[in-house]
Amino acid sequence: MKSKKYTGTLLFMAMAFAGWSQAVQSTAPTATTEAQQLPDIMTIILAVAGSVLFIVAMIYVVKVNQFLYKKVLELEAQKSGAILPAEAEASAATGDSFWTRMRKQYWEDAVPIEHEGEITFHHAYDGIRELDNRLPPWWVNMFVLTIIWAVGYMYYYHWGGDGPSSIERYNTEMADAKKSMSIALAGKANAVDESNVEAITDSGALGEGELIYKNSCAVCHGQKGEGGIGPNFADAYWLHGGGIKNIFKTIKYGVPEKGMISWQSQLRPSDMQKVASYILSLQGTNPPNQKDPQGVIWNEEGETQDPSATPPAGQTEQPADSK
Amino acid sequence: MGVYYSLQRLLKTRMWSDKLSWIHFWSWQVVILCAAYTLPMGMTTSSEYAELIWPVDLLITLVWVVFGINMFGTILTRRENHLYVAIWFYIATWVTVAVLHIVRSIELPVTFTQSYPLFSGVQDALVQWWYGHNAVAFFLTTPYLGMMYYFLPKAANRPVYSYKLSIIHFWALIFIYIWAGPHHLLYSSMPDWVQSLGTVFSIMLIAPSWGGMLNGLLTLRGAWDRVRQDPVLKFMVVAVTAYGMATFEGPMLSIKSINAISHFTDWTIAHVHVGALGWNGFLTFGALYWLWPRIYRTELYSRQLANVHFWLGTLGIIFYAVPLYWAGWTQAMMWKEFTPEGTLAWGNFLDTVKHIIPMYAMRVVGGTLFFIGVLLGVYNLYKTAGQGTFMANEPAEAPARERATADEPSGQYWHRWIERRPIQMLLWSTILIAIGGIVQIIPMVFIESQVPKISTVRPYTPLELTGRDIYIREGCVGCHSQMIRPFRDETVRYGEYSKSGEYIYDRPFLWGSKRTGPDLWREGGRNLDIWHFNHMMDPRTTSPGSIMPPYPHLTDQVLDLKDLPAKITALRKLGTPYPRDFEKYAIANAQEQAKGVAKTLGEQESKLKDQGLEDKEIVAIIAYLQRLGTDIKVQPTTNQ
Repeated sequence: MKSKKYTGTLLFMAMAFAGWSQAVQSTAPTATTEAQQLPDIMTIILAVAGSVLFIVAMIYVVKVNQFLYKKVLELEAQKSGAILPAEAEASAATGDSFWTRMRKQYWEDAVPIEHEGEITFHHAYDGIRELDNRLPPWWVNMFVLTIIWAVGYMYYYHWGGDGPSSIERYNTEMADAKKSMSIALAGKANAVDESNVEAITDSGALGEGELIYKNSCAVCHGQKGEGGIGPNFADAYWLHGGGIKNIFKTIKYGVPEKGMISWQSQLRPSDMQKVASYILSLQGTNPPNQKDPQGVIWNEEGETQDPSATPPAGQTEQPADSK
Repeated sequence: MGVYYSLQRLLKTRMWSDKLSWIHFWSWQVVILCAAYTLPMGMTTSSEYAELIWPVDLLITLVWVVFGINMFGTILTRRENHLYVAIWFYIATWVTVAVLHIVRSIELPVTFTQSYPLFSGVQDALVQWWYGHNAVAFFLTTPYLGMMYYFLPKAANRPVYSYKLSIIHFWALIFIYIWAGPHHLLYSSMPDWVQSLGTVFSIMLIAPSWGGMLNGLLTLRGAWDRVRQDPVLKFMVVAVTAYGMATFEGPMLSIKSINAISHFTDWTIAHVHVGALGWNGFLTFGALYWLWPRIYRTELYSRQLANVHFWLGTLGIIFYAVPLYWAGWTQAMMWKEFTPEGTLAWGNFLDTVKHIIPMYAMRVVGGTLFFIGVLLGVYNLYKTAGQGTFMANEPAEAPARERATADEPSGQYWHRWIERRPIQMLLWSTILIAIGGIVQIIPMVFIESQVPKISTVRPYTPLELTGRDIYIREGCVGCHSQMIRPFRDETVRYGEYSKSGEYIYDRPFLWGSKRTGPDLWREGGRNLDIWHFNHMMDPRTTSPGSIMPPYPHLTDQVLDLKDLPAKITALRKLGTPYPRDFEKYAIANAQEQAKGVAKTLGEQESKLKDQGLEDKEIVAIIAYLQRLGTDIKVQPTTNQ
C-alpha cells in the first residue's frame, strides 16, 4: 500500500515536469528577443497556466482510469465470487466520499489518534516513541511544486528561456524612466534649463526657494548665504559666474572637483529656478560672519548679454564649461 | 547543554569524557570573553558572523574539535543500536560548522590582531555568505531542531508524528540549505547565475524547513489542551511557529523582486529577530523550564512567573518586529520614489532616516520587554534551584550494546541501516553539504571570466589601505554599504552601479548588508576633504539631523604606519600586484600622501593650517573615502 502511494507521487512529479517543459517549449518561440516587458509576463503566465492545465488534465485522466479499473476489478470479483484484494477492500470499505478521498490523497492523511497504536514503532529513545504516519500529502506536493518552479526559473533565466539579466532589466527601467520624464517635463513650468531660465521676483516663489535653500544649501553656504564650506553668496564675487543662468547651471550640474554636488537628481528644474532666484536675492544683504570673497566680481553687463550670441572678450575669465 | 543532556539519555551512556566536557564549556566561555573584548576594541575581520580575529578563530576550531571528539566518542560507546533523529541533526551540525568555519577563516595573519582573507571582492563575498547563511543554519537551526526533537515530545509526552517525515526533511534540509547563501547578494555584482541558484534553492528550502515545524506541531496532536496550561509547551509552540514563519519569509525575501525592496533595510533585521528571539530564544526557554526542575528534582518555582515571561517575550517580539517591518518597507518605498519630473522624491537620504526614527523607538520598547522577560526567567530558575537539590549524576543502567547482526528484521525501513552507522552518517552528511558549496565557489574562483577585469582599477595606496583598516576598525560597514545595485533610484542617488571588477583588491569585501546611512561606493570625489573632516568631527554640522555618531578621536589618534610593510607583503602574497620592493617605500609613500591631504584641508579651512594633521588617522580615512569607486572614472592611459 505504501509503495503504491509513492509510485503515485513519482508519477505525479514526472508528469508535472513533462507537462511543464512542453508548455515552456511551445510558448518560448513566440516571445520576441527584445526585452519587452509585457510579452515576457505573458510568456510566464502562458507557461504556468498551460502547465497547470496540463497537470490537472493528466491527473484527471489517471484518476478516472484508476477508478474505472477498481470498479472493473470489483465487478469481476463479484462475478467470480473471489475475495477482493485487501487493498481494494480497504478503500472500498471505508466508503469515503470523493472529496474525502481527494483530501486524503492530496491534503492530509493522518492516522487518527485513537488508532495510532497500530502505527507506533517498537523502538523508543529515552521513552520517545515514533509514529509511522504518511508524509502530509500537501507538504509533499508543495515540495514537488517548488522543485518544478526552481527548474522553470533556471530554464527561463539561464538554460534556454529569454529571461532578462539584472543589467538588461536595469536598462529597460532607465529607458522607461526617460520616456516618462520627457512626458512630464513637457509642461511649461518644468521646461526651464540653463539656456532659457529667468530670475523670478514673485515673493511666493522666492519663499519656496528660501525653503529649499535652508534644507539643501545652508549647510555649506550659511543660513544667510554668508558662506562656509562653500562660497559667500552675499558679496558680488562669483567663482563660476553670477547671474541666473550661471547659478542655475552650477546648481544643476555641480562642480565636482570643488565639492559642489549636482542637484538635478534631487531638485526639479522649477525648484532649481526658485532657489537660484533666491540666491540672487541675497546679493548685498551683508549678513554677519561673511566668508572672504572668492572668484571675480560678476559684471552685470555680462549677464545682460545673451550667452548664445558671440561671446565678448570679457567672458574668457569665466571658468570653462567643460566641468 | 541541551545537546549534552539529550545526547547522554538518547544514547544511554555517559559522555565519553567528562574532562573534555569541562574543557569545552570553559574554553567556549573564553571565546565569548575574547569576543566581548576584541570586538568593541575594533579588532575585527568585519565579516558577518565571522568577525573574530584569527587567534580567536583558532581557539574556536580547537573548541569545536574537542566537542566533536567528545560527541563521537559518546556516540561510538553508545548502548543503543540506532541513532535518534536528534543525533542526526547534531552530527550534521558538527561537521558543517567545522567545514564552514575552516574555509571562511582561511586568512593570512599580518599582525596578532589583523589578517587578510584568502579571497577578495566578489569571491570573498560569496564565501562569506556561503558561510554566513549556513552558520545561521547549522549553528542556530539544525542543533535546535535536534533539541526540539528531544524536548518537545518529552514535554508533551506524545510520540513523534512521523518518522518518515524526519528522514526526508533531514536529508533534504542539509542538502538544500548550503546552496541558498547567494540570496544575500541579489542584485549585487555577483554573476546572475549564482544569484539565481541562491533564489531557487531558497524556494526549495520551504518544504524541508517546514518538515521540522510540522513534525513538531503534529506531535502535539492530542496534547493541545495542555498547551493552554503548560508554559513549557507554550514556549515551544511559539518557537516552532516562529521557525515556520521565518523559514517561509526567508525564501520569499530571496525572490529577487522582493529582495530589491527588503535588502539594505530594517526588514532583514526584523526577519532575523523573529528567528533569533522567537525560535532560538523561546525553544531555549522552553527546554530550560522543562529541564531545570528535573535537574534539581523539584517543581518549577513559579508557573505564574513563567507565564508572565511567556507573554512579555511574545509581546516583545511583536513590538520589536512589526515596527521594523514597517520601517523597512517605508524606507525602501521612500528610496525608490521619483517625482514625475524624474527627480528623487526624497533626495536627501537623511529624510528617509528621520521618517523611521519612531519605529526605532518602538523597537527599543519591544527589546526591553523581551529582556525583562529573560530576567524574570533567570530569577525563576534561580529560585527553583534554591528549593531543590542538585542531581549531579543520574543513576542509570543499560545493557551493553549488542553488536547489530547483519540480519535486520525484514520489512524495516531502509533508513534504519544508516542509523546504526554513525561514521557513514557523518560521511554522507559531509558529502551532501559539500556539493552546494563546491558548485558555487569553485567556478567563481577558478574561471577568470566570471569577474571581468577593468583596466583602470588599481590597488589601494598605502595610506588608503591604512584608512580602509580604520574604516573596518570603526565598524563603518555596519551602517554604510559599498554596493550600488542596478536600479534607477540607486544610480540616480549614488552614481553608476557597481561592477565586480572594481572590487578585486578589496580584502575583505565591505559591501555591507544594511543602509542606516547612505551607500559610499561612489563617495570618492563627491564631497570636499574639509566636508569629511567636519562630518567626522560632528556629523550634524554637515548633515543636520544625522544619527551618525561623531568620531573626533580620529583627529587625536596618531596614524600608525609601522605595520604597512607587513600588510603590503601579505597582500602581495595573496595576489595584489604591488611592485617589487614596494613595502620598503610604503611608509614614505603614505606619509607623502598624508601631507597632501593635510595641505588640502589647510587650504580649505585656514584654521586647520599647520595643525600637524598629516600624522593623524583622519587623513587616512579621508584618503580612503576619496578613493572609493573612483577607479572606473579614470580615463585609461595610453602608455600601455
